[in-house]
Amino acid sequence: GVTPLGPVPLTPEHEFQLAMLERASRRMPMLNDSEKFREYLPNNSCPTKLYPQQLIPPLQAPDFFSKLEPETLFFVFYFMEGTKAQYLAAKALKLKSWRFHTKYLMWFQRHEEPRAITEEFEQGTYIFFDYERWGQRKKENFKFEYKYLEDQEI
Amino acid sequence: ERMNLGASAMMYSGISLHEKTEYLLREWVGLYHQPAAGRDSSKAFSSFVNHMSLHGILKTDELITRFFRLCTEMCVDLCYRALNEPNQSSTRVRFQCFHTLDAFVRLIVLLLKHSGDSTNTVTKVNLLNKAYIRHIEFHQLPYHRIFIMLFIELNAPEVIFDAINLQILQAFSNILHVLRPSKAPGFAFAWLEIISHRVFIGRMLAVSENQKQAWGMYAQLIVDLFNFLAPFLRNADMPKPTQLLYKGTMRVLLVLLHDFPELLCDYHYTFCDVIPSNCIQIRNLILSAFPRSMRLPDPFTPNLKVEHLPDINTPPRVMTNFAALIQPVQLRKDLDSYLKTRSPVTFLSDLRSRLQLSNTPGMKYNIPLLNSVVLHVGSQAIAHIQSKCQTPSTSAIAHSSHMDIFQNLAVDLDTEGRYLFLNAMVNQLRYPNSHTHYFSCTLLYLFAEANTEAIQEQITRVLLERLIVNRPHPWGLLVTFIELIKSPLYKFWTHDFVHCAPEIEKLLESVARSCIQPKQA
Repeated sequence: GVTPLGPVPLTPEHEFQLAMLERASRRMPMLNDSEKFREYLPNNSCPTKLYPQQLIPPLQAPDFFSKLEPETLFFVFYFMEGTKAQYLAAKALKLKSWRFHTKYLMWFQRHEEPRAITEEFEQGTYIFFDYERWGQRKKENFKFEYKYLEDQEI
Repeated sequence: ERMNLGASAMMYSGISLHEKTEYLLREWVGLYHQPAAGRDSSKAFSSFVNHMSLHGILKTDELITRFFRLCTEMCVDLCYRALNEPNQSSTRVRFQCFHTLDAFVRLIVLLLKHSGDSTNTVTKVNLLNKAYIRHIEFHQLPYHRIFIMLFIELNAPEVIFDAINLQILQAFSNILHVLRPSKAPGFAFAWLEIISHRVFIGRMLAVSENQKQAWGMYAQLIVDLFNFLAPFLRNADMPKPTQLLYKGTMRVLLVLLHDFPELLCDYHYTFCDVIPSNCIQIRNLILSAFPRSMRLPDPFTPNLKVEHLPDINTPPRVMTNFAALIQPVQLRKDLDSYLKTRSPVTFLSDLRSRLQLSNTPGMKYNIPLLNSVVLHVGSQAIAHIQSKCQTPSTSAIAHSSHMDIFQNLAVDLDTEGRYLFLNAMVNQLRYPNSHTHYFSCTLLYLFAEANTEAIQEQITRVLLERLIVNRPHPWGLLVTFIELIKSPLYKFWTHDFVHCAPEIEKLLESVARSCIQPKQA
């Protein structure tokens, strides 16, 4: 049957191991114990019996991010620091002609052709995303200095 | 409360290391979380190092070690306090714990990075203090976090760490081996989480230049896991925590089977040696692994000619020196001499008692010894047959000193011994290779030549019990069983045990239908 060689009595050492294991099982490691610290969106897994039961489609696929709304991308960018998702969101934003300002830590998009373009800056009307008031704002006559432009290939 | 660095250094010059450490650790945690800490906390670190040396911490290795140990204890204490506070949400508790633990891990990493003697510092950090582990109120969390975060940070793509990568992996696997579940059962779940963490598996198994050494270390950790589970699995009496750990083990093995089948191939012998004989599925998982470059022919193909497969003469790679496991040395000498000279006959009659340990049912035999004898005799037989420019076949394997031993064991051993003996052979039925082919022929030969039906029944049992479990099933196992029930040579269907119970008969018929179907249709 299940134990062809028959059971063997457990030693006190084995009993001790079982007791320790039983204790440990009441404090199981959690999902975020071995993941990078996430300040805003800690991994709070909880049992769900409701719909949906399936996994979401592959979030890591790059073209998935290009289908998301800018606001979603901003959320991912600001609240999921240091993740692959943040990287992919930044990439998708760049593809949608958003540029990151490293001093203001905000994303800017040209609202019209700049009125002035020099070696050091461009100036004109921009749409930017204000993460404090959580919304898109328009700024006229803004000077975007290129030294604050985040222009790394990603 | 906070003072400026110079003044504090003077104030603290006369106090204990314990207090200094506490002060410094708190200072560092604060610095680490400041936005001005710089990328990788490097700015904060450069001022902090001055601070440390002002306190004389960096004077000797011994002091650094004590500093690390005290820091670890303080971090752990802090986590315990947070964890034992009533009515706290687990998110909040973890927030508090990670706040300190992550800062401490970064400090270790930076000190390692900037110390000359970077290689053995990792081992010097004796993170897990055994006194804590024996404690019944042990919490895995702080140690788990320190371990995995330290591993991830030390395996970040950085030139300094790349150069000592093998030593880092070595240090981690040494510590994890010391903390194996049988020594630190309270740490078992976190331990399994660590060895199955994607970064850990990735670094241990995927980096090619370190491959062979790191693979051996990883295999040792899997052996540690099996060793711990073995007594509980063997008795099939598993309380819930043990079941959880078992489930986790299965998942890790499935990951390995999918991503690193070669690891399971190379170490299958070592693993099978420590897996209890009733753990059919774990063993099937390991035996089903085959090199990714191979394409296995469907065992259900009608008229499959196994002996014509190109791989059938290639020996598999076995990373265990199984011949050296035949102890005492005298037994191996006698065995080799018998294989050569086919004498004295007394060797055969004595063999059974030399394999036996006790008279207690269920614990009679030395299973690892039996396993090594079986594989040694088999591989010697293959070498012998190949030296005559033949390939193993039912006729080539017969009438040799090797077959003498196998036939003698089949007849002379009692039910328990024969069960273990047959299992040792079936453990070699894997992907197409010379061992698989030889042992497949041998099992069928023993079946055909058996002088009692008991032997045939047991061969059938050992094969069948590995087939009625859920997938995967090793290729060689299927091929052998199909041959047994298909070929008229074995008169399989005329035996009594086939018809002993209606459910067994039905079972066998359904297996037969699935493999002989093309002919009937």
